[in-house]
Amino acid sequence: MAGVPGKLRFSLGSRRSPIGASAISRGALAGPARISSGALTDPSRPFRFRFDGRELAGLAGDTLASALLANGVRQVGRSFKYHRPRGIVTAGPEEPCALVDVIGSSGREPNWIATTLPLQQGLVAESQNRWPTLRFDLRAVADRLGRFLPAGFYYKTFMTPGWAWERLYEPIIRRAAGLGRLAAVVPVHADPAETVHEHADVLIVGAGTCGLAAAHRLGAAGLRVILVDQDVAAGGGTLLDARWSSWRKSVCAALPQWPALRCLTRTTLLGAYGHGVFGALETLTPQESARFGGLRERLHVIRARQVLLASGALERLIAFPGNDMPGVMLAGAGLSYLKRYGVAVGRRPALFLNNDEAYEAVFALAAAGVQCAGVIDPRPDSRAAARARTLGVAVHGGAMVGAVHGRREVETVTIIEPDGRRRFVLEADALLISGGYTPASALATQLGATLAWDESLAAFIPDAAVAAGRIAGGARGVFGLAAAARDGDAAACAIAAELGRAADGASCPEPPPDAEASPLRALWEVRARGKAFVDLQNDVTADDIRLAAQEGYEQLEHMKRYTTFGMATDQGRLGGLVGCAVLASARGVPLPEVGLLRARPFAQPIPFAALAGPEVREHYRPRRRLPLHEWHESAGATFVTTGLWLRPLVYARESGWSPVLDEARAVRKCAGLTDVSTLGKIDVQGSDAARFLDLIYANTFSTLAVGRARYGIMLREDGMLLDDGTTSRLAPEHFLITTTTANSTAVLEHLEFHLQSTCAALDVLLTDVTDQWAQFALAGPRSREVVGPLVHGLELSNEAFPFMAATEGLIAGVPGRLFRISFSGELAYEIAVPAAQALTVWSALLEAGTRFDLRPYGLDALNTLRIEKGHLTTAELNGNTTADDLGLQRLLKKQGDFIGRTLAQRAGLNAAERLQLVGVRPTDRSERLRNGSQLVAREAPDVSLGYLTSATPSVEFEGWVGLALLSGGRQRLGQRLLACSPIHKETVELQILGSHMLDPENARVRS
Amino acid sequence: MSGPESTTAPDTRAGITCAPLAVDVIELAARRERTQVLKALAARRGLPLPALGWVAAARSTLVLAARPERWLVLSAPAPPGVALSSWRSACAACAAAIELSSALSALHLAGPAVRDVLARGCRLDLHPAAFVPGSTAATSMAQVPVVLSMLPAGWLLLTPSSTARHFREWLTATATPFGFVSAAGVTVASLSGESTQ
Amino acid sequence: MLRIPCPWCGVRDESEFRYRGDATRLRPSAEAGIDAFTAYVYQRDNPCDWHSEWWLHVAGCRRLLRVVRHTLTHEIRSVEPAADALAAERAR
Repeated sequence: MAGVPGKLRFSLGSRRSPIGASAISRGALAGPARISSGALTDPSRPFRFRFDGRELAGLAGDTLASALLANGVRQVGRSFKYHRPRGIVTAGPEEPCALVDVIGSSGREPNWIATTLPLQQGLVAESQNRWPTLRFDLRAVADRLGRFLPAGFYYKTFMTPGWAWERLYEPIIRRAAGLGRLAAVVPVHADPAETVHEHADVLIVGAGTCGLAAAHRLGAAGLRVILVDQDVAAGGGTLLDARWSSWRKSVCAALPQWPALRCLTRTTLLGAYGHGVFGALETLTPQESARFGGLRERLHVIRARQVLLASGALERLIAFPGNDMPGVMLAGAGLSYLKRYGVAVGRRPALFLNNDEAYEAVFALAAAGVQCAGVIDPRPDSRAAARARTLGVAVHGGAMVGAVHGRREVETVTIIEPDGRRRFVLEADALLISGGYTPASALATQLGATLAWDESLAAFIPDAAVAAGRIAGGARGVFGLAAAARDGDAAACAIAAELGRAADGASCPEPPPDAEASPLRALWEVRARGKAFVDLQNDVTADDIRLAAQEGYEQLEHMKRYTTFGMATDQGRLGGLVGCAVLASARGVPLPEVGLLRARPFAQPIPFAALAGPEVREHYRPRRRLPLHEWHESAGATFVTTGLWLRPLVYARESGWSPVLDEARAVRKCAGLTDVSTLGKIDVQGSDAARFLDLIYANTFSTLAVGRARYGIMLREDGMLLDDGTTSRLAPEHFLITTTTANSTAVLEHLEFHLQSTCAALDVLLTDVTDQWAQFALAGPRSREVVGPLVHGLELSNEAFPFMAATEGLIAGVPGRLFRISFSGELAYEIAVPAAQALTVWSALLEAGTRFDLRPYGLDALNTLRIEKGHLTTAELNGNTTADDLGLQRLLKKQGDFIGRTLAQRAGLNAAERLQLVGVRPTDRSERLRNGSQLVAREAPDVSLGYLTSATPSVEFEGWVGLALLSGGRQRLGQRLLACSPIHKETVELQILGSHMLDPENARVRS
Repeated sequence: MSGPESTTAPDTRAGITCAPLAVDVIELAARRERTQVLKALAARRGLPLPALGWVAAARSTLVLAARPERWLVLSAPAPPGVALSSWRSACAACAAAIELSSALSALHLAGPAVRDVLARGCRLDLHPAAFVPGSTAATSMAQVPVVLSMLPAGWLLLTPSSTARHFREWLTATATPFGFVSAAGVTVASLSGESTQ
Repeated sequence: MLRIPCPWCGVRDESEFRYRGDATRLRPSAEAGIDAFTAYVYQRDNPCDWHSEWWLHVAGCRRLLRVVRHTLTHEIRSVEPAADALAAERAR
């Protein structure tokens, strides 16, 4: 790229050998280390991006990691514990080190994996865990103190004194810990997110040769298939091997002919959740992201009848001193950067390999004209080594890497004999390593597969079959692209048979043969002086594991927790088995006895936003709106959320008690109208309806006359109050239950449970009619005069329609129901009409009330009125109160069974010192009350006797009134106690009163 | 270079059309061991009750069997109370007839992207082979209960009226990338044009 | 996540159901006394084995189901309507 700043330094300098002959001129391709155009990168679309403030150039198709390597940027972060410089180690989502912060328009986001982060025009990224700069990190002193920071350091050191934890240790540790950091400013608008529910006959995980061959087979069988792969393109290993390109193209061209088959690339399987349910995270392309309003990731919840795990195998590292230095990278990653992005990860790379498969990197580098410094192989000789020698590459057999040196990056590699003697030092600017391959068995074990040790592969291999699924290819140790393809095809045939489909459709093209390979030689660790890492992300060394074993943490899962080995976001994918081998050797037991770390969902870090999906902010929960919501809005109501409902709190926009008290006063003096449509309403019909209600309610409903309503209480089976409300008998076999707003769902489920279990033989039908009926409470001494003219043909006199009467009839011309019930303590009616007619009737009532100064009132005024009267809400029906506690014991029927009857009789639920409901007023009428204040006696101010459940300024009485739950409350009437609210630093002296402060004789409601 | 992609090109045409449906809803709930009596009675009234999971259409009326021994009878709006009273007296001995016209809010959806949109909230398998025309199911979407029916003339959704606005907001936001068009109301008669079972 | 095969609605996600507790405990008769009810409400086995549970299909048919599930593998062996399960229980 022409614009690359001159000062950009490719750290190797000119003394190293020049780029090979096949390299394309540097100016044409973004970055000095890019030697060809690469299979995925597009040289015609250069991108600019910034990393740690430096402006760099990359290409469309690059990942951030490939673009950094193309620019010669090796060091991309500092490590978690020792703050050692770290570079890019892999070319995929298993990357332990190259995590970066991305700074975008919505803020800073940490922990993006550079090896999967697609490069975009203008991307701004920063390295993590360095202070003040990446090159010069003050905390790197931790590395020098390394031997004072052993495994379990925190556990051993920060023990005493106890006070120091909170004040001293924790703040220091918190500052030093963690990788990235979140933006200081939380973005105002959440990024969009969505969840898609998927169903398939077969889910295939991995679109390498194994997955593609299986998809071809199952697609041809007409099955519904979802094929997912985390890569940007299907193909897996074929993308790195030109011999396979025609096979891949042919299969990928065939798949779209089957409409029931879908291929999701850029999609990572997050976990197996049982019963055929899988989570997968898809990263959107920029084009699709634009179409979906900036959506970046999509969560797929996939339900599959069968699953095929074709997730391949992961290359593992070798533990040796300095194996974390920038420039040390997996051999497969080196191959990947070369083939996919045209980036040579070094001009003179050395390789340290123990298996023939990894030699593909040697062959590819040689073919690209990159001169290898040499291959170090613990095996004396092998087929691949022989082939490498024919290409002019020096292979040092029977040797190992004993150390890596360099100031910030690899400069020299020390070669040693198997016995540790130094052989010689090799000049190299990169070291590609491979310790063999570990089948990606995480999903298999989540599906219940057991692992068996395979000595020839030096790996744990899962069973081929698991519950509703199969494992094939590299994921079960069948290595080689052609072998994996054949294995995938065979597994697909078995799955098709399982699903009852013939699998006789056209097969895949014949794959090119796998090269003959010599066996690997297991090599876990080269023991020499220096830190040899087994977990690069959590900075765990082989010595840490030995120390843990020595201190008694011999079991793998104990060692893991003591050292944090495998506990980072990469879950120890690179070094997991290596660490297990180190532990086995420390304990002197065979590796299979130690086992393998259990990988849990999520397979890779996932943003919370993707999990939350669209259910955030105002859509976090559904909002239920009243039929008259728009009317309340236009009348200037302030709304409050109670449960899921939005309810008018007060018809005023300003805060303060004044408008609330005006509304409440209107009810006491004249009349008010409030919307109580949120009450739960359950229609109960059937010949056994009365019997059923007698079982459900603690009081009796079978004796209720048609046309009457009754206040009822329900208990839970443990004897505590569940809910209260008014239930009416509309016909001999037809009741209507009302529940509190908060408990409507729970009560319906409680009823349905008992109707289908406790009394399953009853003829009863329950229907939730909450949304069908709008319900209004018309309260106040003039309410009869307001509603009277609107109910044609209905006599409303106290004799004809007394307190607790209920009837059906026309109200303002609308078929509805009229109840004479009262929550406010005044003469009151509740009017129920179909919600669609709510506005007609509400308007008619307001119109009829004009001459009585009728006005709407909100929830706050309703609360003021009911506290004065001593009526209950969920503040008192809080799940811890009994009927006796709330003064309702007289309602419990003496005869017959009901839910909660037996356990309500327990002595502890009837003890005299239980918290009982009382009314309270401040002795000094000018003082205010606070909900939650603790009640104490003046002489024992640190013994709580109870607490205030509800409080309000009063319209009936001077000053404030409240309700409280007070120990032995009914025996304390007339006493004076203190109400303390320490958070407000307030103490108020109270008078204890009966809970029905207003009209205890119920004269008003009967007037 | 890559395998088949999951996505389609941006579609500027209407992927999904949404229209409110004005409808009277009566729920018929069979009394204990009276299901056959209710079925016979409904058949005499020219309205055969479908089996669970199916929709029947007759005489400009749709009948949905989304819950066992319960049927939702959808008809064109009549004055308040009329639909109920015609059933209430007829079936008193064998069923409860409950008016839900105000409790449920009905939406009609049509267009090529309906399944894509619904899959963003509905956990059911709506593949044409799994949820064929004439199917109905009670489930939940966007955290709200919903009765979802597939008719030859499109999809019918019944959701509680108190959460109708929430549901509509969710639907609009979810459907916008697919090309969302609000349409005028449709009628029950137009949806019940042909029998679906 | 469980996928529960509802006898009326077909296989549905766990999120459509409400767990209603241990189905091995049946409500004692009204006169059984405090000890019997205490056992019914509070005493639970915690088996690593097959277990009977009540699940109410709140988002679907609203029927109560007895689900026999293995607590270790989550495998579901049977799902039946509560009424049928109770009738069989009484017959035994």
